[in-house]
Amino acid sequence: MVTSSIALLEANSVLLQSGIIEGLQNLLQPDTFIVQTINGIRFGFILFLIAAGLTVILGILDVLNLAHGELYALGAYVAASVGGFLVGEGTAAIMAPPSSFDPVTSFAFVGVLILAALISALILVPIGVVMETVFIRPIYERDQVYQLVLTFALLLIIANMIEFIWGSNPQKLDLSTKTAVNDIPTFELLGLSGVPSIVTLIMVVSLVVGVGLFYFFSKTKTGRIIRATAIDREMATALGVSPDRTFTLVFALGAFLAGFGGAMELVRTAANPGMGESALVLSFVVIVVGGLGSLRGAVVGALVIGVLQNWMTVVEPSLESAAPFAVMVIVLLVKPEGLFGTWGERT
Amino acid sequence: MLEADGLKKSFGNIVATDDVSVQFGKEDGEMVFIVGPNGAGKSTLVNLLTGLLEPDEGAVTLDGQDITTMRADQRVHEGLVRSFQVVKVFEEMTVRENIRTALLIKRKKTGGLGPRAIWEGLFSLDDEHEAIERTIDDLVEQFRLDDVEEAIAEELPHGDRKLLDVAMSFALDPNYLLLDEPTSGVSAQETDYVIETIVEVSESQNVTTVTIEHDMDLVKNHADRVIALHQGSVHGEGPPTMLETDQELRRLLLGVEE
Amino acid sequence: MTPGISREDGQLKIRIMKGMELTVRETLGLVAGLVILFNLPTITTLAGDLPIRQRPIYRGIVFGLAAVGLNLLLRHSELVSFGHAAFFGTGAYTVAVLVSDYQVKSATVLLVAAIVAATLMAALIGYFTLPHTGLYFALITLAFGQLLFSIVKGQRALGGTDGISVRTGEAGVTILEQFPTLFGIQLTGQEVPNTILLWFTLVVVIISMLVMYRIVKSPFGRALDAIGQERTRARFLGLPVKRYVWAAFIISGIYGGIGGGLFALYFRSVAPGETLQVFVSGDILYMAILGGFGTLTGPLIGGIVLETLANIANEVVFTGPAGETQMGRFITGAVLLLIVFVFPKGIVGSLKPGGRVFEGAKTLKNDPTVAGPWFRQFGQVTVEAAKRSVKNVRYLLFGVK
Repeated sequence: MVTSSIALLEANSVLLQSGIIEGLQNLLQPDTFIVQTINGIRFGFILFLIAAGLTVILGILDVLNLAHGELYALGAYVAASVGGFLVGEGTAAIMAPPSSFDPVTSFAFVGVLILAALISALILVPIGVVMETVFIRPIYERDQVYQLVLTFALLLIIANMIEFIWGSNPQKLDLSTKTAVNDIPTFELLGLSGVPSIVTLIMVVSLVVGVGLFYFFSKTKTGRIIRATAIDREMATALGVSPDRTFTLVFALGAFLAGFGGAMELVRTAANPGMGESALVLSFVVIVVGGLGSLRGAVVGALVIGVLQNWMTVVEPSLESAAPFAVMVIVLLVKPEGLFGTWGERT
Repeated sequence: MLEADGLKKSFGNIVATDDVSVQFGKEDGEMVFIVGPNGAGKSTLVNLLTGLLEPDEGAVTLDGQDITTMRADQRVHEGLVRSFQVVKVFEEMTVRENIRTALLIKRKKTGGLGPRAIWEGLFSLDDEHEAIERTIDDLVEQFRLDDVEEAIAEELPHGDRKLLDVAMSFALDPNYLLLDEPTSGVSAQETDYVIETIVEVSESQNVTTVTIEHDMDLVKNHADRVIALHQGSVHGEGPPTMLETDQELRRLLLGVEE
Repeated sequence: MTPGISREDGQLKIRIMKGMELTVRETLGLVAGLVILFNLPTITTLAGDLPIRQRPIYRGIVFGLAAVGLNLLLRHSELVSFGHAAFFGTGAYTVAVLVSDYQVKSATVLLVAAIVAATLMAALIGYFTLPHTGLYFALITLAFGQLLFSIVKGQRALGGTDGISVRTGEAGVTILEQFPTLFGIQLTGQEVPNTILLWFTLVVVIISMLVMYRIVKSPFGRALDAIGQERTRARFLGLPVKRYVWAAFIISGIYGGIGGGLFALYFRSVAPGETLQVFVSGDILYMAILGGFGTLTGPLIGGIVLETLANIANEVVFTGPAGETQMGRFITGAVLLLIVFVFPKGIVGSLKPGGRVFEGAKTLKNDPTVAGPWFRQFGQVTVEAAKRSVKNVRYLLFGVK
């Protein structure tokens, strides 16, 4: 059986060989390689923000939240509205995008953008709370299959509500916003063109949030309580921790992270109807590769998938979307527990 | 003859069994009890013999045949049967259905393991086999489960669940039956009842029964032979009187200095 | 044993075949269902502007057949497959490729080919999923499904995202003559061939259901139940667990393949988004649960209901801030919520003795006044849930004090 599938893969690769070798040569051009890798890391960071919530919710609540991708999409859509409201010419606008680079105004503008993303993500917190307390809490004890139905139902409802509110056309911020950020020199200072500063912004901010997340889980009291609950729910209850409140907090945190990821991604691109679904499916890959429930695994998984997918756009575009799933299949077959065991024992 | 020869198994740095060699005769109706403090490697030994685990070193032979790497389900067909410390029955089935499931491999047409048997299994009905139904009647009676034969397994009292579990093992017509703490979790009143039923049935069918047991009174009353394990090795082997005469063993088992 | 009528515990039983006895109610339901399905062309004509159409119902039947297959794993081995579209898609693409690239036109040959291809695919994927249970089984089936979807989507030979048409593309022949044929009739998608294909499909479905009935009632079905409930114990009863699960997986995949093959014949075009994508897999799973995964006919009925529902619900249009929006997904989501919280046994399961609707109707018949407390209870639950979420939002935003 194994040999036959390898033969299949080989047959397939022979067909693509000439293209792949050429693609690899293209990828290995130093400039292309660096640009694609940086873009991959950027995508990896965003994937981490989504997958972190998914994996923590799975690790602690033991729920696979299929609606998680829609929270990411919702974050982007909300950010389109909040951003459009705060940034630009409107009456409530805090400031308009500067037309050319000026250290003070440009950085202040970036600050306003981050503020808008934070506000958007915060709007998702109550939505997460309602999802957990009203819908998910009554079915913790039930057959896992019902969790899949329930969270899928929520996925459908949220996706439809997004369309109801924002329509089916992509939503984005004014082009001037992006230009204003890109005017700030970042990678250009290192002599590298081809990586717009918007990518730098997303990477820096996601990195800060990611580090903050690890700090939260390893150093703060609440974070430790959550980890303790993940390792031994009964023990935590015996020590006076309310699992109910921990669960709500974890779910809200997941919603916040996904929403923040969506909001950051919006600065670069547009919010569109299919984004939640593809984000969800890729986060599955990330958490399986990293190990279900492992936060550290999610970092590694997200970077691997993000970078790999960006490389594939150069090497063999027709396999771009297949590559992550091939990795997922291999990991499940070779090391089903993922690269980093389970959540709780290590962060 | 079921034979363990120099079985060694470690989990990480912990050596669970270290060079354990034991022998059990075939169908002589011998009641063997394995005793020892927690962590002595009793369950590991049973797991190694029945194929739940594979040993790092050593061999298991059954009637002269090396079965060290044989699949667990195939060992059952060779007459090597076990039960588990925690009751493992099919919770959503009735008592009768549970035993019928245990008898699946006894069905001529469907019991085999090949694709052909699976194929043929598709063309017969689960409950139409008269000989099987009569065997179920017998087992239900033997294990005194006739009052509850149509009850769903998860709703049975614990003692009955244990009996059902053992009844399913006997349904397989074993030559060797390995029972991992058949009395664990059973109330004091039910314990005697469970163990007596087991002894009665294994004697009447000449099954060699190997039982892990903590209750020394039960062991003294029913054992033909006792194997004592300590820290993964065989501490001693002999008649149940050994439990009285071997002072070191007494200390190990009771955890008290005398 | 021949078909006949018997009386058991004062209840009339109708025997269809060996081992298959139905109550009067079940028989009536079955007959009514078959009469409706066979007369679908007439009914849809009579319905006029009412949103009862043959296409969504046909979709429901073929996807429902895949759900019947999935249910063998779900109900008996307790394995949740999240990648069943792989087999549906394999069946559909096999038909499409054989017609367009190899000019095979006989529908029966095509269907057999779809079965063979789905069997091979299920044998391959199934082999790798064998060690897994629970969430890992769901995730690995999903991974394989998405892998297949992504590969097909990227192949220009298979039409990429647009997919391929199920016609030969021969030169010098009109388009209508390029479609496959069933008993000499060209499957052009017009009324008469569609009706013939529908009837043919229903016969295939009936045979498939009878076979599934026998599988479930056989010792093999019993072994699957045992494996689902207590895998280790099943192994130590001498059952070759992995081999049995593999066989079940393959059978389950074959049902998907048949569904996909019939889909390709009826809709005459096959695209990855419609047949292979992860949400198609999701739909197949939800059909089984909606209809009742504890029952045999449930998944099929769930398929028909889900597709019809989606079709009708999409005609509900609300005008929101961004203009008119079809509310189909919202309504489908709401129905699935209803299934989770009120009718966990699904449509068919709830109608059976022990099910919510059956028992509720019985109680209501004996004492109609219970309706009052029911509504009160429902109100209370809703108010409590609302209070709870407000409280939690407050806790999170302002802390506990």
